[in-house]
Amino acid sequence: MQPDLSELTRFLQDCPPFDVLDSSQLDWLAPRCKAVYLNEHNVDTLFAQHSPALFIVRSGAFDLFTPEHQLIERLESHDLFGFPSLLTGRAVVNTLEVVEDGIVFLISDDDFAALRQQHRGFEQYFIRAHEQRLLSQQSMTTQFSGGSASSRKRDTSDGLQQLLGQVLTRTPVVLPSTATIQQAAQRMRDEKVSSILVVDDATLVGILTDRDLRNRVVAQGLDFNLHINAVMTQAPATLTARQSLLDALTLMAQENIHHVPVLDPESARPLGMLTNTDLMKQQRSEPVMLIGALNKARSTAALIREAQQVPDYLHTFALRVADAAAVGRVLASLTDTMTRKLIHFYEQEHGVAPAAYVWLAFGSQGREDQTLSSDQDNGLLLADGLNAEQHAWFAGLGEFVCEGLAACGIPKCPGNIMASNPECRLSLQGWLERFQRWTSAPTPKALMYCQIFFDSRNVMGSKRLYQRYRERVAELGRSEFFLGNLARLQARVQVPLGLFNRFRGTETGKDSDWIDIKRYGIALVNDIVRVYSLHAGITAPRTLERLALLQKSRLLSAKDNQALADVWQFLTQLRLQHQLQVWGTEAPKNALDPDALGPLARRQLKSAFGILKNAQQGVSLKFGKTG
Amino acid sequence: MQQCWREQRYVALDLETSGLDPRVDQVLAVGWIVVEPPLLDYGQARYAVVQQQPDLKQSPVVHGLLQRDFRAAEDAQFVLQHLAEVLENAVLVCHHVGFDWQFLSAFAKAHNVRLKPLAKFDTLTFEAQRLRMQQHHLARGSLKLAACRQRYGLPDYQAHQALTDAIACGELFLAQAYHYAGRANVSLRNLLSYN
Repeated sequence: MQPDLSELTRFLQDCPPFDVLDSSQLDWLAPRCKAVYLNEHNVDTLFAQHSPALFIVRSGAFDLFTPEHQLIERLESHDLFGFPSLLTGRAVVNTLEVVEDGIVFLISDDDFAALRQQHRGFEQYFIRAHEQRLLSQQSMTTQFSGGSASSRKRDTSDGLQQLLGQVLTRTPVVLPSTATIQQAAQRMRDEKVSSILVVDDATLVGILTDRDLRNRVVAQGLDFNLHINAVMTQAPATLTARQSLLDALTLMAQENIHHVPVLDPESARPLGMLTNTDLMKQQRSEPVMLIGALNKARSTAALIREAQQVPDYLHTFALRVADAAAVGRVLASLTDTMTRKLIHFYEQEHGVAPAAYVWLAFGSQGREDQTLSSDQDNGLLLADGLNAEQHAWFAGLGEFVCEGLAACGIPKCPGNIMASNPECRLSLQGWLERFQRWTSAPTPKALMYCQIFFDSRNVMGSKRLYQRYRERVAELGRSEFFLGNLARLQARVQVPLGLFNRFRGTETGKDSDWIDIKRYGIALVNDIVRVYSLHAGITAPRTLERLALLQKSRLLSAKDNQALADVWQFLTQLRLQHQLQVWGTEAPKNALDPDALGPLARRQLKSAFGILKNAQQGVSLKFGKTG
Repeated sequence: MQQCWREQRYVALDLETSGLDPRVDQVLAVGWIVVEPPLLDYGQARYAVVQQQPDLKQSPVVHGLLQRDFRAAEDAQFVLQHLAEVLENAVLVCHHVGFDWQFLSAFAKAHNVRLKPLAKFDTLTFEAQRLRMQQHHLARGSLKLAACRQRYGLPDYQAHQALTDAIACGELFLAQAYHYAGRANVSLRNLLSYN
């Protein structure tokens, strides 16, 4: 008779990710477990004698510390730990202290690996846990180690992950658009707020801020009895309660605004106002500090000085943050802020812009997946029909900002995709002609450009001009002929998996067995998702946002959609982890040695490339025949 | 016996019986787990129903065992031989070892199997001694397995069948031994002297 280990299997069932296993898998696992009675007399030999292993706390309480004796987490019943060392194959360097004696289950390296192979849900949990936790709790100079994955608690170590619904504290201060300016000012005084929401029939129609009262009312000498709809900001940018503080931070930095109404995600009813003061409360947060410091700079020299702090602060942030994608978004926001400050300094010197324009961000800044080694990809969209003098003003702007960004640490683009290049400083007509040429006669070079130029964002300038540009560009991007060419182009990228599912190096020279996970991984996901997005007419530039918008697409199944998102997140995390490891050295930033990865990371990387290979073929089949 | 207690192998065991008198009542099932401090090895755990036609005294259920469990009973001699191997050079650990041993030795003898554990350790007696030395008043029920476990902060287990109780007993033994010995290389003999 099989021993009845129901006490153990019931416990495991209650303990994610083991809850995804079926009863036969649990029955297989239970007799493979060991239990240790962990107490102060044997705790210091636990990792030495029993790792690598997955540890599951059954009872008791234990504190996990970094080698520098910083508390990482208190582990209690149902918490998992030790798996980062399973993932990386490296020795555990963190230490445990016993708060309360207890029972801890052990699952061996081999059994853990077998379960991961057997069950995709189980595997997914650890891929995610890996993404979410690996970098959050370890210092780069020491090795990855027995950091923990709490199975029940969501990591809230970084305040920027908080949802806005939880951040809003006070009830919204609301007035109808027919209230007078004086009534609004009185209300703001009584409620001690710097802004109000203007709401008609439960729908947000605008916001009014202190600054509006100063600039649009007092400075203009307007009558206080006018209705506020005459001076409010109409159709302001908004967020929903389900978005995070990071979303708020990037929006406020990108739009250069200090007040954002927060709406109910379903009914669009206004729930409250988020102000930059709410963000400043996240004082520990490096991004908030950095953006604040950049915005305060009063000269180009001061800006460059502040920008030099970015890598160090971002390094700290990246080590702590749970989500690698956050780092790319924060970097893009910082670059946006620097760009706007530089444009502002240029205007102070040379007068304001002589015509409508848009400063465009392309490529990684556009997609908000920038890294510390990403170079500039930008351009200028200008109103049609400018004279030579006006062109000269914008030529000066492009030169000044690109030089400034380079001085701020964002390298110039080797392909010269920069606003300092007249080819990237075009009128609406000029850009559309270029896109027309690329999409109708796609040379390899044109297609390469498209992969950069179709991922754009408006950093500064006329919203209307950008919108017109973006809509027309999206129309050109839907051409079947063009998509067919893009599909064939992405199919030519050789996924670095060879015979028998072995890694195949992508590099040359002595590191020829290394793999460039940007070019053959992240960029390929971006390329694949771009084809689907162009076809669907999606103009959002972020890859994960595109995938979210593609969820109802008939061409991309929900499963494949999720798999691409997982692969993108895994590779982004892996790249960030690698870049933190080679921090300050001359080692390649995007290529890594697969043999140096732990067994789990290797397996994950292989499965990521496997998914990419299939996705690549999917795009070829769906789009590659036409054109 | 002079060896450090941690170097020793233990077998935590529990029986299900049809009553309390070893002369008339039967062993119905046996559960055990091997303990190699600080580990309990679930891979060396066993549970076996060993009576095909138990005297259930009109009760349809004993220890949650049903008729169909008894129909699937294993050959008692085979199970006992396995136990004899496991107990070779190991310390038998039970909660009230005198009771279990009386049943077990009679049962083994009836099947011509010799069980020769290196020694026997009683988690109940150990706990009683410990509490007495600390001048505790021993309240009724305070020496039950669950009550003893509670004093060491060990979790409550729902199921009460021989294997779960054997595991519970094994965990209690580790808790007792570590609390008593700490880091010191206390010998097995020393540990057993409290029994």
